[in-house]
Amino acid sequence: MKKNIIISQTILMLTVVLTLAASSPAKLNVVATTADFGAIARELGDDLVIVSILAKPTEDAHFVDAKPSYIVKLAHADVLIEGGAELEMGWLPPLIDGARNSKIELGRPGRVRCAESLALLEVPTTLDRSMGDIHALGNPHFMTDPVNARLAAERIGAVFATVDQQNAVTYRERLAAFTKRLDEKLAVWQKQFEPFKDRQVVAYHNSWPYFANRFGIKIDLFLEPKPGIPPTPAHLADMVTRMKAERIEVILVEPYQNRKTAEKVSAETGAVIVDFAQYPGGVKGAEGGYIELMGYLVNTLVTALKNSETSKEQKK
Amino acid sequence: MSEAFGIMLWPFLACLLLPGILVYMGLHIVRREIIFVDLALAQVAAFGICVAILLGHDSHDWQTTAWSAALTFVGAGVLTLTRPGGKRIPQEALIGIVYVVAAAASFLLLSRSPEGNEELRRTLVGEVLLVRPGEVLQTFALFAAVGVVHVIFRRQFLLLSFDPERGRSEGLRLWFWDFLFYVLFGVVVTSFVRIGGVLLVFSYLIIPAVCANLFATLLRTQLAVGWAVATLSSVAGLYASYKLDLPTGAAIVCALGLAMLLTGTGRGIGVIAKR
Repeated sequence: MKKNIIISQTILMLTVVLTLAASSPAKLNVVATTADFGAIARELGDDLVIVSILAKPTEDAHFVDAKPSYIVKLAHADVLIEGGAELEMGWLPPLIDGARNSKIELGRPGRVRCAESLALLEVPTTLDRSMGDIHALGNPHFMTDPVNARLAAERIGAVFATVDQQNAVTYRERLAAFTKRLDEKLAVWQKQFEPFKDRQVVAYHNSWPYFANRFGIKIDLFLEPKPGIPPTPAHLADMVTRMKAERIEVILVEPYQNRKTAEKVSAETGAVIVDFAQYPGGVKGAEGGYIELMGYLVNTLVTALKNSETSKEQKK
Repeated sequence: MSEAFGIMLWPFLACLLLPGILVYMGLHIVRREIIFVDLALAQVAAFGICVAILLGHDSHDWQTTAWSAALTFVGAGVLTLTRPGGKRIPQEALIGIVYVVAAAASFLLLSRSPEGNEELRRTLVGEVLLVRPGEVLQTFALFAAVGVVHVIFRRQFLLLSFDPERGRSEGLRLWFWDFLFYVLFGVVVTSFVRIGGVLLVFSYLIIPAVCANLFATLLRTQLAVGWAVATLSSVAGLYASYKLDLPTGAAIVCALGLAMLLTGTGRGIGVIAKR
């Protein structure tokens, strides 16, 4: 009899402890597909959220290898932040299926598709596979424009405030602080690019049209003959001739792209290779948040353009 | 724990139900000394997928499957015709040539098709972690059908692999059974490649069969040993994949490799002890 009382008391105590643990302010579980969204989520959520990022910043977000932990993270997520413009199309849907989490189903507030709230570039008029690896919704690398990042941040902040209403005020304050800082920086960055208006830069893959548009330069020549198709000898020879003729002196390469191709073209043309990344942590020196990444990108590219022959001649 | 169960359930079922027939076919393959035939056929199937994609079909369209199957049959035909008659050219050499040429041809097509890149990658690594319930059940039904054919004609198939001389003297049409064997084999390999990838298929075929040959000579015992090795390694690989967060297919392949090492060592110690 006495034993029974002890057991029931223990059960009662356990229940009380567990209820307390459950009702104490739990942190919001946020999963971001790529590190750019993850950085903004950390900026806005800080101590109120736990952010996990699926794709490594040095990994091509078109192709990500599935691991069991990804499904576990998605199963526990209160909020899932994705680009949503077909960038993660190849790997995210089956992971979400596996996670069976109703909070991040399409149409629920916990599912944030950042592309939805902004206008994408290069939306194809006809869908034709012969064009290469194109995306029906437009170019998915929209976060390389700080204005789009601002829109994405606003969306993420609004979702945090809806899902975690207790802390809505804090999220809004942090969002305001972030956008203010971003706007100030953007003005500085645009000024840095002013002397290089319409300058042509070559990239390995078509990841930078938003960046180019915002800063008034041109990044519309690529080492890939078509998006997703590895460089062919004829195309590279073509690019070398063009770069020499038009005096294009900078090549942008991302961590998961074949640097050797760029090095070969660089050796032929004398162009400088600039290591670029779309995600914080993708290249050395670009760790930290989104603003730190963008600052790094602007500084390295502006430095490369400043040191180019064309700029030196213009000075004379 | 219930969460691990939910996530790993279908990969687990896939690794429990599907390798059964692979282990059995592996015993044939090892006995015939045509170890790399699965790589060759899988690569031919992948080449078929590339052709279909280049013609504008989606990787999930029926035309893609048809192309893949048709080319696999062609591959099976080539392998039938090259059954070792003379001793000067070993069949393994021709299998190697089929593999290399199919792989190179896929690369050529791939340079024209961005989607082929993803597809070819998937062919190699597989996505056993993300396998869909429907996929497992369909493949299992298909494998069961292949298994039934093998049970009905077990006399012919066994003679074919284990005693072709006697088969010939008994008037067995070797070329016909050879072709049927390769077609069924091609079907099994290509459908499992879509789930597990080339590496996993190869490991499930060869490693349990080799382990079994270390310990037993009777086919029935060999099958039992092979199935035990495959099942235990699958469980170990899936567990490690979940606990240590490793890519699932590669973890199972390494678990099978470890099983090989353990059985090999065990066998070695056994032999020494007997002396």
